Amino acid sequence: MEGYFSYTTELFNPSTVNEKPEVLKGIRVLDFTHVIFGPTVSRTMGNYGAEVIKLELPFYGDLWRPATYWGRYWKHSNPIWHFVTQNKYFVSVDLKRPEAQDVIYRMAKTSDVVVENFAPGTAEAWGVGYSSISKVSPNIIYLSCSTYGQYGPMRYFPGWDLLAQAASGVLSLNGYPGTDKYFKLPDYLGDFVPGNMGTLVVLMALYYRNKTGKGQYLDLSQTDSMMRSLPHFTYCSVTGETLGRTGHSDPAMIAASIFKTRDKKFLALACATERQFEGLCSAMGKEDLLKDRRFTDYLEGLKEENAEALRKIAADWVKSQDSGVIIKLANSKGFAAAEVVDDKMICYDSWRRERGSVILFNDEMYGEIALAGPSARLSKTPGRTKWLARPVGYHNRLVLKKFLGMSEEEIQELEKKKIIGTYDDKPGLKPPVYYNLDEDPIYNYGREVKEKK
Amino acid sequence: MRLFKKKGKEVAYTRYSAAAASLSVWKEIVERLMTPEGRPEVLEDVMVLDASYANFSGIIAASFLAEFGAEVIKIEPPEGDPSRKMTPFGKNVKGVGIPFMVEGRNKRYMTLDLKNSEKDRKDFAKLAQKATIVIETFPAGEMDSWGIGYRQIVEKNPGLIYIAITPYGQYTEKAREFVNLPDSDITVQAGSGLAAQIGDPITEPEPYNWPLKAGMWMGWYVTGLSAALGGTMALVYRQSTGEGQMIDVASMDAYSSMTGFPASIGYTWENARPRIGVLDFILYPYGHWKCKDGYVAIAAPRDHDFRALIKILGMWGRTGEFESDWRYTSDRIPDILDQAMILHRAIEEKTMMYTSDELVKKALNYARKAARSKWRGGGVPIIMKVMTPDKTMENKQWEIRKSFKEVEDETVGKYVITSGFVKMSESPPQVKWVSCDIGKDNEYIRTKYLQ
Repeated sequence: MEGYFSYTTELFNPSTVNEKPEVLKGIRVLDFTHVIFGPTVSRTMGNYGAEVIKLELPFYGDLWRPATYWGRYWKHSNPIWHFVTQNKYFVSVDLKRPEAQDVIYRMAKTSDVVVENFAPGTAEAWGVGYSSISKVSPNIIYLSCSTYGQYGPMRYFPGWDLLAQAASGVLSLNGYPGTDKYFKLPDYLGDFVPGNMGTLVVLMALYYRNKTGKGQYLDLSQTDSMMRSLPHFTYCSVTGETLGRTGHSDPAMIAASIFKTRDKKFLALACATERQFEGLCSAMGKEDLLKDRRFTDYLEGLKEENAEALRKIAADWVKSQDSGVIIKLANSKGFAAAEVVDDKMICYDSWRRERGSVILFNDEMYGEIALAGPSARLSKTPGRTKWLARPVGYHNRLVLKKFLGMSEEEIQELEKKKIIGTYDDKPGLKPPVYYNLDEDPIYNYGREVKEKK
Repeated sequence: MRLFKKKGKEVAYTRYSAAAASLSVWKEIVERLMTPEGRPEVLEDVMVLDASYANFSGIIAASFLAEFGAEVIKIEPPEGDPSRKMTPFGKNVKGVGIPFMVEGRNKRYMTLDLKNSEKDRKDFAKLAQKATIVIETFPAGEMDSWGIGYRQIVEKNPGLIYIAITPYGQYTEKAREFVNLPDSDITVQAGSGLAAQIGDPITEPEPYNWPLKAGMWMGWYVTGLSAALGGTMALVYRQSTGEGQMIDVASMDAYSSMTGFPASIGYTWENARPRIGVLDFILYPYGHWKCKDGYVAIAAPRDHDFRALIKILGMWGRTGEFESDWRYTSDRIPDILDQAMILHRAIEEKTMMYTSDELVKKALNYARKAARSKWRGGGVPIIMKVMTPDKTMENKQWEIRKSFKEVEDETVGKYVITSGFVKMSESPPQVKWVSCDIGKDNEYIRTKYLQ
């Protein structure tokens, strides 16, 4: 066993992550996305080495830039936004202007993937839809993200995470049975889950293109994606009944619920197998339950009245114990248990720091912040963070000069016409006050910069 | 249109004609999207061994790969995987639980007793030599101690991608200490930060102010998705280099790593967010309200959306209350919950006067007019009926998009599942068949891979 853990510790060593190769090196993503759903698709690709060029409207920027929790900014930026748009090149082009199209098409020509999440029809109307982009770059992989999809009677309905949750049925399910109390999934999961699915399907298309040379068009709807997580439809078709809200409990597993411990902590318990149930009974000192006809068979124990009776027994036991004791017992006897953790516990948990699930990232512009690492760690090609979000238009010069070979004069011409631009003086859009952009060699790419003091 | 100047008119006209020209391309694409049947499969050359045990995150990861055409072989002991029995209220058909039926898409079933039989482990090793991906959810190092872990298989199969899913991962002190702790959806929801954010504020009565479980297997689902995503990333790397690798998925990271909010907020605020019931930390209005015949979800968070919403609810311009009250115009997301709830209840008073259909219609009409008017500032208040899953199934949108599919299994009969979560013009995911019998494909697999 020791041999195994020293082997894996070496294999996944978090301190060597930045020396390892990147899967998507050389893949260029043209990113027309905004808010969270679309940006998550390209961000995840950026984590694995893709060059993501994020296009924003000059002076406005992405809608989500100023949207921080309770309006609390961090160094004039949105702390959540840093996770959502890390590793991207921030280019600011006014898409609506016909003159901008030339720039866009030149970018599209060298890109492998395009991602957009405008309301369906908008990208086509602005000349950056699949029909136009595939003309300049025939083998492009083009992903359109929307709430209800690109076709069907609801295609023009506007929508966000919340509406996808409402339309898929997800919203109605998180709450208490027999009451009006229910809640949406927090933190825009209706954007993050479909966003990760977006990355998955783009990778599938990339794998296919590597084999056949063919690009394709992808239509991902966030409602569809959320529906994929519900067994409720099948439940309905098999039993003819609806499966509604189930409160703190998981009706599909034995003794699965959230309980309160003696030291006033919240704790989740569950038994996935009959053997785990034996472990729980032994921990509770209630081996007699193993002979109880109601619980001996797993399926029998899940029946509503039996499950209810068992949960009551478990709740009484948990109430009489400290959380730490139960978790130790769970580990030694073999049943599932975990304490409910909050933001602060996650941020400062030493396990997460050691594993690289939460990293302290040191950014050149913003300094130190805690960021989440990926939950799937690849031994040879791990995902990583290279830089945080940047002000609107920060990479204009770098991208236009380095990637498109434009000259300083051409860029100044575009700036004069306000086809490209930078940020307005608003938090979320602008750099931190202490940061002098005139001295920044990336912002001024290809121009003389004053020496940094 | 009359309001436009001549130059504006020309611009509008060019856009219109460009749109018309692209219409034929569009038509062809949509036709392709609508007919996924019989199109090429991305992963036709990929074989997956899913040895996950009593754990749906592995099964869900394998499902994603199976839908894209991989040959997925579920390995389970002769008595069947315990996950077959995990089903809401014990509802099953001939011993097969509903979640297992949902994930039974395009899969093959083989019985191998990895825990007890040396001979079966040898067969597994032989299969693994031909596999592209192995998925397992045993305690860290258990497969290794049986001689069929990543370390051993990779010697003969350097292209192998090995996905191991456990609560705390394959390395670190904690993983070592809690190596025998089993995995479950509810513990993932609790231990990765999801449950803490759902539920009523602490000031409300118990147990409503407790952290709450999401009503579906969101913990396992997110873990499975992360595993599938990591596996596909590794597949792309393997495609160009021929090299495989090991992937370590810790389910206790599922939620916190997917959204990233807990880590960054915990750091910058140096505190934990409390539960705030039906409100939102960032946007307002962004939630659900009671109406005459059920509930509606309303999202109108930008200033012009909010203005539009209070106009269509008849709260603007009559009482003079809303447009002049700074609390609503400048700060709709206060961290003083009582203040936020005043506005929340004021909106509910109005939504209660209409049916959900009326409200949805009002919002759509406003948005349509606002898009054409230069005076309305383009406000888009969005209102949608809150659907229960049975109502979702009746929605025409999903019928046209073929999001539900009736399938038939020899043993359990006909049932409906979700299918084709994404539409692709060349190589879409598909549900070709469903099946769930234990050891159904033993013969087929032995002939194909073990001779």
